[in-house]
Amino acid sequence: MSSEEHIHIPYYPGCTLKTKALGFERSAMDCARELGFEMNELKDWNCCGASFPLTDSNLMGLAGPTNVLIEAELHCKEHELDPRVITLCSFCYNTLKRTSHAFEKQPEKRTTLNAFLDREYKGTVKVEHYLEYLRDGLGFDKLAEMVKVDMSSFKVAPYYGCLLLKPGKEIGLDDPEEPTILHDFLDALGCTLVDFPGQVDCCGSYLVMREPEKAKALSNGIVDEASDYGAETIVTACPLCHSNLDKAQAANEGEGVPILYFTQLLAIALGLSTEEHKLEDNRVDPLAVITSCGAFDAAAKKSA
Amino acid sequence: MLIRPSHQDHEAIRELELATGETLSDCYQCGKCTAGCPASMNTPPSVLIRKLKLGLYQQALDSESIWSCMACLTCSERCPKDVSPAAIIEGLKLIHLRELDPRADVGALGQEFLAQSTQQAVVSGFRKFI
Ligand code: SF4
Ligand code: SF4
Repeated sequence: MSSEEHIHIPYYPGCTLKTKALGFERSAMDCARELGFEMNELKDWNCCGASFPLTDSNLMGLAGPTNVLIEAELHCKEHELDPRVITLCSFCYNTLKRTSHAFEKQPEKRTTLNAFLDREYKGTVKVEHYLEYLRDGLGFDKLAEMVKVDMSSFKVAPYYGCLLLKPGKEIGLDDPEEPTILHDFLDALGCTLVDFPGQVDCCGSYLVMREPEKAKALSNGIVDEASDYGAETIVTACPLCHSNLDKAQAANEGEGVPILYFTQLLAIALGLSTEEHKLEDNRVDPLAVITSCGAFDAAAKKSA
Repeated sequence: MLIRPSHQDHEAIRELELATGETLSDCYQCGKCTAGCPASMNTPPSVLIRKLKLGLYQQALDSESIWSCMACLTCSERCPKDVSPAAIIEGLKLIHLRELDPRADVGALGQEFLAQSTQQAVVSGFRKFI
């Protein structure tokens, strides 16, 4: 597809995508281009604050995400686009989406934030997740037609975690208890889907900063269960889930269930070079699984 | 022995409700929040709310369990009464943090640990514990 036909979508990366999760960003960008859309990074962005403030009176916690929404609004105005922003990280997605939801429900909060920031957020931006665009913008049917590699021997468990889905009433991406979006995505790629009960359990999240052993036990429980159900790979949309699930297996000396970002798997399915996708950053090396599934591309061979 | 909370306790609990936007009396103690909570707390969310409903402010505030909450939102998602235990827990944490009573020692984590951690975890950790 020529670039003129490409749909342009403003993109908010967030901090982790620029550091620990470079492979997530790069694979997502490469896939987007292949699928006919272009993610344009916002010019001037700041950290969204990572966790949405849960207490109603904590307006300070909304300052970061509001600034991001303002940047998205300005970007769309300048480029004459519908006001929207696409994200990859579950934390960023949750924080931005909940902030925009809070402003819809309580417009007085927006007024206060605008006064505090001395900038104006008009409240127009639609916050989207990359997966949401694949499902609702591009369409999983269309995606399935673009898959180039036979993925049927990939036994993949979809892992959602918490913040991609909850609170369901505000996020609205999918059913928070029995989601299907990642399942449908894996179906579109033609993978062998491994459904397992722990798909919406918490990986321990930021508790790694205080009670790492407890967090590790939760992550291990998820990985072990997925493995018991026959998974050879787990896909996620969250760098913290990725890190927790991967590091929890550190003691296994590289053996275990490799954790992939859904976009890394997508790149393999689309037959793209994964050389820049940082697959080698994983403690549990995914290359063996990729090889045994017959989807070992030239680039992966080179970097092996 | 009857539990007789002081006027101050009642006031503090009222303030907690205002700050969090939650109404404790909405909770009918079904225990669904506790059933789904992955944090293995000694004082799980429904018990914490029961204490607050009884006026046991200090006990709730001093509960070590609040620091194990991961804000996974399972409790809030499942509550049939639209209460958010996660928000109440965060409200209690904020009372500590505003009184400069941090609950994590970032210095002790070490440079290597921090360098390996995702930014999300570090920023969230700073927000929730310090
Ligand atoms: S789920 Fe809701 S109503 Fe039930 S005990 Fe927990 S807070 Fe109370
Ligand atoms: S948000 Fe906290 S209290 Fe609620 S279920 Fe999760 S860990 Fe437990």
